[in-house]
Amino acid sequence: MTALVIEGLEKVYTDAYSGEEVVAIGDVSFTVEQGEFVSVLGPSGCGKTTVLNAVAGFVDPTGGEVRVDGHEVRGPGPDRGVVFQSHALFPWKTVLGNVTFGLRVQGIRRREREERGREFLELVGLDGFERRYPHELSGGMQQRLGVARVLTNEPAVMLMDEPFASIDAQTRRRLQEDLTRIFEKRRPTVFFVTHDIDEAVFLSDRIVVLSHRPSSVQEIVPVDLPRPRTWRAAVDAPAFRDTVARINDLLRVDEDPEAGEPEPAGGGAGA
Amino acid sequence: MTPGPAGSAVRGAARPGGARPRSGRTGGRARALFRFLLPLAVLTALWALVVEVTGVPMRVFPQVTDVAAAIRDMALSGELVQHLGASLRRVLIGSVIAIGTALPFGIALGASRALSAFFSPLLRFSVALAGIAWIPIATLWIGYGDGAVIFIVWNAMFFALAYNTMLGVRRIPTSLLRSARSLGAGRWRMFWEVLLPGAMPSIVSGLRVGLGYGWRGLVAAEIIATSAGLGYALFLAQSTFSTDVIIASMVIIGVLWLLTDRLLLAPLERNTVERWGMAGGER
Amino acid sequence: MAVRTPRTRRPVPVHRRVWARLTRSPAFRTLGPFVPVVALWWILAESGLFPPAFFVGPDVVAAEFVEMVRKGVLPGYLSDSLERLVYGVGFGLLIGLPMGFLTAMSLRVRRALWPILLFFQAIADIAWLPIVIVWFGFSLTAVTFVIVYTIMFPLMLSVVSGVEQVPRELVRAARSLGAGRTRVFFEVVVPGALPSIATGIRTGLGYGWRALVAAEIIVGTSGIGFMMFDARRVGDVSQVFLGMIVLGVLWYMLDALILAPFEKATVERWGMVRSLEEGDR
Repeated sequence: MTALVIEGLEKVYTDAYSGEEVVAIGDVSFTVEQGEFVSVLGPSGCGKTTVLNAVAGFVDPTGGEVRVDGHEVRGPGPDRGVVFQSHALFPWKTVLGNVTFGLRVQGIRRREREERGREFLELVGLDGFERRYPHELSGGMQQRLGVARVLTNEPAVMLMDEPFASIDAQTRRRLQEDLTRIFEKRRPTVFFVTHDIDEAVFLSDRIVVLSHRPSSVQEIVPVDLPRPRTWRAAVDAPAFRDTVARINDLLRVDEDPEAGEPEPAGGGAGA
Repeated sequence: MTPGPAGSAVRGAARPGGARPRSGRTGGRARALFRFLLPLAVLTALWALVVEVTGVPMRVFPQVTDVAAAIRDMALSGELVQHLGASLRRVLIGSVIAIGTALPFGIALGASRALSAFFSPLLRFSVALAGIAWIPIATLWIGYGDGAVIFIVWNAMFFALAYNTMLGVRRIPTSLLRSARSLGAGRWRMFWEVLLPGAMPSIVSGLRVGLGYGWRGLVAAEIIATSAGLGYALFLAQSTFSTDVIIASMVIIGVLWLLTDRLLLAPLERNTVERWGMAGGER
Repeated sequence: MAVRTPRTRRPVPVHRRVWARLTRSPAFRTLGPFVPVVALWWILAESGLFPPAFFVGPDVVAAEFVEMVRKGVLPGYLSDSLERLVYGVGFGLLIGLPMGFLTAMSLRVRRALWPILLFFQAIADIAWLPIVIVWFGFSLTAVTFVIVYTIMFPLMLSVVSGVEQVPRELVRAARSLGAGRTRVFFEVVVPGALPSIATGIRTGLGYGWRALVAAEIIVGTSGIGFMMFDARRVGDVSQVFLGMIVLGVLWYMLDALILAPFEKATVERWGMVRSLEEGDR
């Protein structure tokens, strides 16, 4: 069954200062099946995050359509949980308070929601930290909590916006392996945005490669790696290296030194 | 909610769709001024209307035209210039002395960990007490008149400014101090080129708070201790129940502070802290 | 933390250990600096550098304090001042906070109200005293009005800037977890704006405090401000000094017993701001 359908998505911004119109997304279409892990990869500033924001309902597309479980997306909703690069944890809530926030919105009783919250904290390896506040956790733990907070809510799709980009390289590998493990165990539907080719190949079932702005789908690359996956096995697998090389070529084809600008981290309080 | 990725693409000269640049900078400024003045104009109209409809007596609240007439009369008789001049001169002298004394003091305190730890509670105590609470003792020591008012303005500003300067210096990253020292900066150069600019965000916010206190101290001190100045004009008008002159003086005080903020503090912030991309201190 | 028990135990002299413990206690750290100041004050007064009609020592002020308490004048004035402050602050918060959020939540309201807010804040609160006296006479209402006015505007401005500072991602996160507008307001916007609001309350109280003293001096029927100015009129320096010290101590207690614990329990606990002491270290 198809969990997420993106059809002819287009987004045109009007610059607030100059009044010029900027085409961020030209024409993007693809689908994500239920229980599938799909990454969106593209050069800096190609509008990956804008695609995610459109799916999340944070921005309204100027053209095309996004459907989740057959319903057209209008504004943010609990069927599409988002893991942000900046964690976006609530500083004034404890770890348990953060993880059970969505359940509280649903009106689930305290005992049950704490039970379920604890279950997911254990899943991401945060059991024992229930009473801590987010600022007392390390960067990696904060992002685990961000993942647990979304999973507890059991959305139709989990949207991840470069979640590991501001985490040090060592911890990032651990988190990627843990995410794979969680994915293999619970099979959520994941829509993952990144600029890290290795990361995309390691995690995904399929990779949507976007072109330069105004972005469109350049190619959809399937990843033929057996699960369960570990970094140790992946780096030795020829399939891994071939896929990485292939995407590298794809991204290099229309490399344009003029366009090498850093993409703003989703705007606002990124990183 | 402004879109994130849009700005960079425009500067990167991507393909702008329909380019229709808006009117230039001066146009934007006039627009901003209009946007600022419109609510105030609406408020004034409302005031005129309410007074007209309810017919409250002048003794309680004057009509707009009465206040305008009061300002005109004050201007024509030379009173306005006299009071404005007296008040501005006191604020100017008081704040110049305050800046001249508080900045070196604050930086000296901030440069030493022991000194700043010792003086921190003292300064916080004094900030709370500064200004108005000193009026009785100031008039006792110096007598009624200019001296006491200037002392109050200085006093009101000094502690807030010194405290903020000290905090500002304490918050300069150690790496910045070390790199300056390892580049061979001497004491003098450290002061002018590292400590002073490094503490600038905090100093500017201290200046804002301090001037606010100083301004209030001025009005209070003038009400109590002198025979000229805007505060005195207010006090005199109150004793004769001339509400038109009271409101006129209040409007003048408000406009003066807004002008100070727009013409002095805002440009200072723009040209230092914001220009350097540093975050402002707490306000 | 682990420094507590050093591996190799070298005998530490007793006086040094006592000193170390003393300097680490919070009471010493806050009160300690006042000891040399009081000593200096005493020496200055005793030296006879200034005539005693202008400058008295701590001993005289202490005696005055005992005398005023015994006569019941000081407690009476103190409770008058505190009553005014409580009324003023209470109404100021009650009006300022909702008005601030109302202004902050709607862009259109904010555009319309912002200049008016700035202008009214610019008219220094004390400048309102004369007109307020014309309206209400020399009464509690007049003083309360001025304090409410003083506190309201810094508070509203700080609420607006606090709401603007709430990271957009937090609102988005809450929305994508299913929260509606009301829940986002109470569980994201309000706590997110709290650091700025706390600063606003501090600033507002600082202004309100001054306004109270000024109003008592000018309106002049009772209260600490009145006591000081009355004493100045008859040239009683020791009472003026006493009044200043009482005002200072009161502010310090307000800060230490109400403001600081509130901030410690909220914004500092949540890691949203560093405490002042930490900033000094």
